[in-house]
Amino acid sequence: MSSVTIRGVKKKYGAMAVLHGIDLEIRDREFVVLVGPSGCGKSTLLRMIAGLESISSGDILIGDRVVNDVPAKARDIAMVFQNYALYPHMSVYENMSFSLRLKRMAKEMIDRKVREAAEILNLSTYLERSPRQLSGGQRQRVAMGRALVRDAQVFLFDEPLSNLDAKLRVVMRTEIKALHQRLQTTSVYVTHDQIEAMTMADRIVVMNAGKIEQIGTPLELYDTPANLFVADFIGSPSMNFLRGTLEPGAVVLADGSRVPVETTGRGAAGQKVVFGIRPEHLSLSSDGTGLAAEVEVVEPTGANIQVYARVAGMPLCAVFTERHDFRPGQTIHLAWPGRNAHLFDAASGQRL
Amino acid sequence: MTTKLTRSLIYWALLSPLMVVILFPFGVMFVTAVRPREELFVYPPTWGFSEFRWENFSEMWVKTNFGGALLNSLYVSVAATVVALVLSIPAAYAMSRYRFAGKGAYRTFLLMTQMMSPIVLVLGLFRLMMSLGLVNDLNSLVLTYAAFNMAFTIWMLQSYFNSIPRDLEEAAWMDGASHLTSLVRIFLPLAVPAMVVTAIFTFINSWNEFVLALTMMRSSEDFTLPVQIYAQVAGRYQVEWHHVMAATVLATVPVAIMFSWLQRYLIRGMALGAVK
Amino acid sequence: MANRIQKSVPMMMILPGLALAIAIIGYPIFDLGWTSMHDVSRFGKLTGFNGGENFAEVFVDPLFWESLWRTGIWTVAVVGGTLAISMPVAMILNDDFHGRGVARVIIMLPWAISLTMTAVVWRWALNGRAGLLNATLMNAGIIDQPIEWLATASTAFVVEILVGILVSIPFTTTILLGGLSSMPQDAYEAAVVDGASGWHQFRYITLPLMKPFINIAIVLNVIYVFNSLPIIWVMTEGGPANGTDILVTYLYKLAFRFGQLGKAAAISLVMFFVLLAFTMLYVALVSRNDRDDAAPEEEVKE
Ligand SMILES: Nc1ncnc2c1ncn2[C@@H]1O[C@H](COP(=O)(O)OP(=O)(O)OP(=O)(O)O)[C@@H](O)[C@H]1O
Ligand SMILES: [Mg+2]
Repeated sequence: MSSVTIRGVKKKYGAMAVLHGIDLEIRDREFVVLVGPSGCGKSTLLRMIAGLESISSGDILIGDRVVNDVPAKARDIAMVFQNYALYPHMSVYENMSFSLRLKRMAKEMIDRKVREAAEILNLSTYLERSPRQLSGGQRQRVAMGRALVRDAQVFLFDEPLSNLDAKLRVVMRTEIKALHQRLQTTSVYVTHDQIEAMTMADRIVVMNAGKIEQIGTPLELYDTPANLFVADFIGSPSMNFLRGTLEPGAVVLADGSRVPVETTGRGAAGQKVVFGIRPEHLSLSSDGTGLAAEVEVVEPTGANIQVYARVAGMPLCAVFTERHDFRPGQTIHLAWPGRNAHLFDAASGQRL
Repeated sequence: MTTKLTRSLIYWALLSPLMVVILFPFGVMFVTAVRPREELFVYPPTWGFSEFRWENFSEMWVKTNFGGALLNSLYVSVAATVVALVLSIPAAYAMSRYRFAGKGAYRTFLLMTQMMSPIVLVLGLFRLMMSLGLVNDLNSLVLTYAAFNMAFTIWMLQSYFNSIPRDLEEAAWMDGASHLTSLVRIFLPLAVPAMVVTAIFTFINSWNEFVLALTMMRSSEDFTLPVQIYAQVAGRYQVEWHHVMAATVLATVPVAIMFSWLQRYLIRGMALGAVK
Repeated sequence: MANRIQKSVPMMMILPGLALAIAIIGYPIFDLGWTSMHDVSRFGKLTGFNGGENFAEVFVDPLFWESLWRTGIWTVAVVGGTLAISMPVAMILNDDFHGRGVARVIIMLPWAISLTMTAVVWRWALNGRAGLLNATLMNAGIIDQPIEWLATASTAFVVEILVGILVSIPFTTTILLGGLSSMPQDAYEAAVVDGASGWHQFRYITLPLMKPFINIAIVLNVIYVFNSLPIIWVMTEGGPANGTDILVTYLYKLAFRFGQLGKAAAISLVMFFVLLAFTMLYVALVSRNDRDDAAPEEEVKE
């Protein structure tokens, strides 16, 4: 097990820059999730750690060793691929033991390790099958098993759950998490699903367009997103944003309504800002004060009610856990705890 | 909604004229090959004959030096197939797995060579082989067949290689395999079916080639089967048709069986390949 | 440094094959160009530069023009006939019916057999005295005298065209089948829901979607048929009296019968340029169809 250090790493394909300088320190035993929209460079970064992609500039270190010129096979890293990449002409057993056989490990040793891994992954009865004869979830486990037997320094996962159905995804998510708790292997996990990121990660790295937007624990990202992008990306349904102008003690919206907010030390009066509040932090104000919103659509999910409304022409979503009987066109008044309000500079998108 | 049965009947009825015409030469071949020599030229001509003369085959074998031509054909076809494959596999791998300068140009060049038929170049090729001292040498055919088949083999192999996921090899590298090991233990085993199919088609093409063999092989002991059979027919006053037909039966039936077994792969290959 | 070696890997993989292709297919083209501008002895010795004399000779040769004309007829008739038959055959074979496997095998059969053998068998089957075609037709009462099929140029040529069509059907059907089997099924289902009849489906869905495949089938067939020697060579050797000569048979005779190597080289070159034009067409068609089918790549497109 080992740490991974990424220093000023860039990637260019011809003239096109895909990663614009990534700095990231992944600690020993940590489970780090790279998350971001499609095409932002997550896989590219992961594959550079793996040694499958060359590094245009910067350094990648595993432990204290710079591995820029170390080929994939010598990095002692295991990887679980999105499409599993199981060797179709080998049985489950052969798939899992391939790396050990390459190392010329003793037969009994190999056998022990494979059976151990199979035990952990509930694959013991499938060892003689070929990958073709397995379900998606089982294939996924074999791919994990192949990584498991290696005792590698680092585990890499590239969207390992994206080919599974929603239910199985949740199950496997928990399994992977449990596995990490047990083995404590340094892991880097790529996904574009923010729920996966939130539930699994020790720390999340939010990437966008080849840059890191923020690094932090799931709750850090949720509570204090560094900018509009992260605020928007983390959480579901997404955070509400209301554009307005900063005045002492409030943000003034286009129609003149005032949104109260703590402003001391957070920008200058007259500054264009974005006020942010998560749907789940909104509540109905009982006394008719608070932000007025006109209800447009009401979606009960059973567990809660999602209300889509409009404030000063801007859309807003609110989630209530208690049941209400709203009608479209109705005006409701919303309140929230002040500590849950977020404020961003409209021009730079940075948190104020 | 027509049922499958009526549809089948209609289709077979529609196809039957074509099938008759396709099968007709096979009928002619068999019926002539086994009939007694005296019954070749009877008037009025007839399909019927008095007895099966299986000796025609053994007579033919000796008289037409069929064995020699068979060996020549086998040597040329096998060697050409091996050469073509040995050169095509790495090229197809490179085309499928790497991006490199001149790839587009190379692809175009391959297409052009595929279009160039031997006949247009036959005079130039003959002069080339003459200057290399390879006229009357079966190896001249080996080289030319390999060269003319390569575009097809590369194309066929490449389209199959493309369907072998790249991450299998990457997974092998991660597992600690060198490029060579992953090639040998992961990639090639998966590519075997494609290589076999491609090899067999190259073999059949070489087996059937006529123009170059006719041109390069000037003495009868170097003839390949098509030339040998042609030589039994061309410029002769007396053609021993029963022998000729016996020879065509022996030369075509094994290939036809092999081909029938393989043709579905060709259809699949075409669907995968450049026509896509 | 390591990078440089990495970059040369694909080159090394391609080079051996490329070298063979250049030697065997590239070099003869230049040699033909060179030869076509020289006087050449019967034995292939270049005896002196003569500029465009060989070409001039070719262009005043009435046999050349006749062969060229006949090549046109031969190519158009065979390709047209082949396509007209292959399209319905492919559509039938693409549908599900009892015995489809057997039907496919039979239709593909001529492909397995060398043109030479096919032509030899037909030459015998068409024999004026004892040919079994005559036997069949006489038995069926269609004719009452044997016909000398190959004795007059006009009938011989028609027969050769028919044989040409027969042997081109398997390949063409295969291409079309490849196209039909990749046809999106939901388009048909949508059309049925929209109330399209069988003919409408063919006219507005099958044909337009099949167009690239038909185009490629046409171009490839034109190239193959244009170049095809064995059928005519084996059945009539371009005779009687040059009456069935097409360019390839005429070329072959000039080169290897009459020893007029300079003139033969000139004709080869003319044919080469005709082919080149078709090839360009083909390349354009293919590259329009598969922009880039290569797997995910290491480096970006230049
Ligand atoms: N071989 C390549 N050549 C050129 N560009 C590439 C190549 N591979 C990736 N890219 C580009 O690099 C960018 C990042 O790709 P990458 O695969 O890392 O995205 P990702 O974040 O993993 O997205 P996804 O969630 O869709 O998997 C994309 O814009 C992609 O188009
Ligand atoms: Mg990705």
